[in-house]
Amino acid sequence: MAEQETRPKKKNRRQRYFDYSLLAVIVFLCCFGLIMVYSSSSYAAQVKTGDSLFYLKKQGVALILGFVCMFLVSRIDYHKYAKVAVLGYLLAFVLMILVNFTPLGIEYNGKKRWFGFGSTSLFQAAEAVKVAVILSMASLVNKFSRKIDTWKAQLLILILQAPLILLVADNNLSSGIILLGIVFVVLFVASRKKLRFFMAVAIVAALAVFVTVFSDKILELHILKEYQLERILLWKDPTSYALEGGHQVLQGLYAIGSGGLFGKGLGESMQKLGFVPEAQNDMVFSIICEELGLFGAICVILLFLFMIWRFVVIANNAPDLFGAMLVVGIMSHIALQVILNVAVVTNTIPNTGITLPFISYGGTSVVFLMVEMGAALSVSSSIRFER
Amino acid sequence: MVPNYTYHRLKILIVFIVCLTGFGILMGRLGYLMLFQSAHYTALAEELHERERSIKAARGRIYDANGTVIADNRTVCTVSVIHSQISDADEVVKVLSEQLELDEVSVRKKVEKISSREIIKSNVDKAVGDAIRVFELDGVKVDEDYKRYYPFGSLASKVLGFTGGDNQGIIGLEVKYENYLKGQNGMILTQTDARGVEIDAAAEGRIEPVDGNSLYLSLDMNIQKFVEQEARKVMEQKQAKKVSVIVMNPKNGEIYAMVNVPEFDLNDPFTLNVPIDTSSMNSEEKQELLNQMWRNPCINDTYEPGSTFKIITAAAGLEEGVVSLTDTFHCPGYRIVEDRRIHCHKVAGHGSETFVQGVMNSCNPVFIEVGLRLGVENMCRYFNQFGLLSRTGIDLPGEAGTIMHKAENMGEVELATVSFGQSFQITPIQLITTASSIINGGIRITPHFAVEVRNSEETVIEKLSWETGERIVSEETSETMRNILEQVVAEGTGHRAYLEGYRIGGKTATSEKLPRSENRYIASFIGFAPADDPEVIALITIDEPQGIYYGGTIAAPVVSNIFDNILPYLGIEKEELPEESSEN
Repeated sequence: MAEQETRPKKKNRRQRYFDYSLLAVIVFLCCFGLIMVYSSSSYAAQVKTGDSLFYLKKQGVALILGFVCMFLVSRIDYHKYAKVAVLGYLLAFVLMILVNFTPLGIEYNGKKRWFGFGSTSLFQAAEAVKVAVILSMASLVNKFSRKIDTWKAQLLILILQAPLILLVADNNLSSGIILLGIVFVVLFVASRKKLRFFMAVAIVAALAVFVTVFSDKILELHILKEYQLERILLWKDPTSYALEGGHQVLQGLYAIGSGGLFGKGLGESMQKLGFVPEAQNDMVFSIICEELGLFGAICVILLFLFMIWRFVVIANNAPDLFGAMLVVGIMSHIALQVILNVAVVTNTIPNTGITLPFISYGGTSVVFLMVEMGAALSVSSSIRFER
Repeated sequence: MVPNYTYHRLKILIVFIVCLTGFGILMGRLGYLMLFQSAHYTALAEELHERERSIKAARGRIYDANGTVIADNRTVCTVSVIHSQISDADEVVKVLSEQLELDEVSVRKKVEKISSREIIKSNVDKAVGDAIRVFELDGVKVDEDYKRYYPFGSLASKVLGFTGGDNQGIIGLEVKYENYLKGQNGMILTQTDARGVEIDAAAEGRIEPVDGNSLYLSLDMNIQKFVEQEARKVMEQKQAKKVSVIVMNPKNGEIYAMVNVPEFDLNDPFTLNVPIDTSSMNSEEKQELLNQMWRNPCINDTYEPGSTFKIITAAAGLEEGVVSLTDTFHCPGYRIVEDRRIHCHKVAGHGSETFVQGVMNSCNPVFIEVGLRLGVENMCRYFNQFGLLSRTGIDLPGEAGTIMHKAENMGEVELATVSFGQSFQITPIQLITTASSIINGGIRITPHFAVEVRNSEETVIEKLSWETGERIVSEETSETMRNILEQVVAEGTGHRAYLEGYRIGGKTATSEKLPRSENRYIASFIGFAPADDPEVIALITIDEPQGIYYGGTIAAPVVSNIFDNILPYLGIEKEELPEESSEN
């Protein structure tokens, strides 16, 4: 593609590309998300606040803000982002320190995750950090592109990202995992090396299998305490750990299981009536399963797959490495969140709080996702091709 | 500007393939959960959401022949608490313990127990339930329920039977006609959210209850009441263990009264009717005592009928033509059969007598002779023909069968003893049914209580039909038997049953209970009136009377007294000149 750009054929007129397919999927998922947020939250909202539209309204406002951001970001040439990458990284760092160690961090359910002043919380810090990490990774890979295959460069990139990831992981393990995943995937794509990455995956997988299989032994030998293994234990047997959090997983499974092939119909979920706690958040996929059945659930997954495929196309055709890496970062973010969320909801992996992009309720998440989408669209519009 | 190399594209594809694999695994997992595990999780979820509340159907009432309710329903309340809906636990504990007269500690324990529904007390009077409702306490439910109530208490207890905790029949007519009476419980299927609050929109799951049908009986509580009085009187006078009386219509088998004293209280069927200290007994022994109390000896128990059975021997002999009214016999006080000397009740003997006189004297040697003339084969044939070998088919549960020799094991001695009602056992209901069939013109009847079934709107939905019509003896034999039995009362052993103005037929009996050495007796009398056209037949058995134990002396007067009262009640007028009317 790069070669084609440098030697354009005479007969064909140069044309700017815009990925309308991606835009369509984004719009569809956002609208579908709004419907599902309303469906899953209206009963709880009515009971709690007296206004069944409470969550829908908040999500709608965030979404409008998100679309504006997306539009603005997509209009900017993505090369200009590179200039603010360092600034973004430093801002994220400062933000995390403020949230973790000053009263500007606001605590919900025992976790300091929100940035805000006094009683007004503005946004979830980790969502902003994700954007900063994706941008800084693309910049770093671009900077070290010649030495990217060396251990030195790769370790340097890891060391640069580590403080930020650790700051996030301190209060929000799942976001930390996702950040690590993004860094890992971008490095993997950027480098020619394969073995070291596969080895890393193999070691993590082996460790996971070991802890899972020998969780009972580990408990007996007092290597780890029960609360540290809690998530693994309740994943293996949610019924016995109902009080510790197995309840949420179990109720999600009831919802999924009672969906059947075509579901109970939109709005007909029983489990959202307080059985699945905060159904509009992490567990919204279980309500999709209950209302729309296996058919609806697979449609949603295929939509995400299609979105990821669009990222693959854009990254492959991006005019330069920076653009490609930016899109790879975004792609890995979306893919990781969807896979982990669905895996958690179906109790395929231990429970960790990860939202389903575009669909789960959450203003911060949706605004920053839309910023990322704007970036991806911006890269797509830089693609030049001949017709 | 760093270009995008081919290996980058390969790496991106690898990432995509990994994503694809991940998505594929998750879709597989979803398919497994939503197709193969679907039923399992759906059931669990529904169990979580649904709260079933049954609406009890009212059990059908039972009416006597006059349309008087003899088994009714009373509304009682069940008071329960729903933990998640209680707002003021202290108030709930206070009110419930005061109103229900329970101690606060136990009530508090139930109120504070975390369960979906906890029953505080059931079978609460409606008035108390209403009083609790007035407080309008959150989380306290007062559900109405029906409980069986018997206005006549112990009257006809062993016939009517009673119901258990789920309003199901346990003994007697209540269990026999369970399917007619029970009705169909309705149900409210409510769905609830996680806090247990019912969801209004999902209230369609309501199944209306269908009330049970009413049962109308031939039993007449007025007759039953009078007969019970008489039975209790004779039981007390004779210090008997128990007295049973059956009064029925010999033409169609409708039973007017069936008394078994001592009766028990139907409204309190689990308390013994005799003062026995049960504190040292285990539950099995207590249950055995209750079972004994609930037994209906008229139907559930067999006994040796003794001389009343001579009606049947005589009818068989006459029908078969082996004996005629004018045949003469000689009674020396015993009769030797094979190597056995069988005594007559009159040790001195009756001397020379005709067959009719033999019946009037209840002379054993006469009947031994008739039996021997019939022979084993004919005797067994008549047993079968009269329906003695099968059950009567009365509409009460647990009818006992006849205990009789097998034909191939019957020698002359057995034949001789059977002829005067010994060495085999039948139930009282079997005896009165067979006697009725012999005197009513020779048609076998089925004894029964239930006449018709009506639904809750009082419309007759079923007239119960009872098998009649099978001829067991000829009209002539039947008429002859009526005449002979009338003479038994007029001039023979049954003379104490004589009632001025009425033509009464009957036969006495005094059976010796086994083992014979203990000298325990059952005195009995079977009587019917009017003798020429029987409208009513009665059988009384007095179990183990003290002192004089002859049926003719103690049982016959009871029947006379009963007839004296119930014949006018049944509209059977005294006859001025009996001889004239008999010619009609």
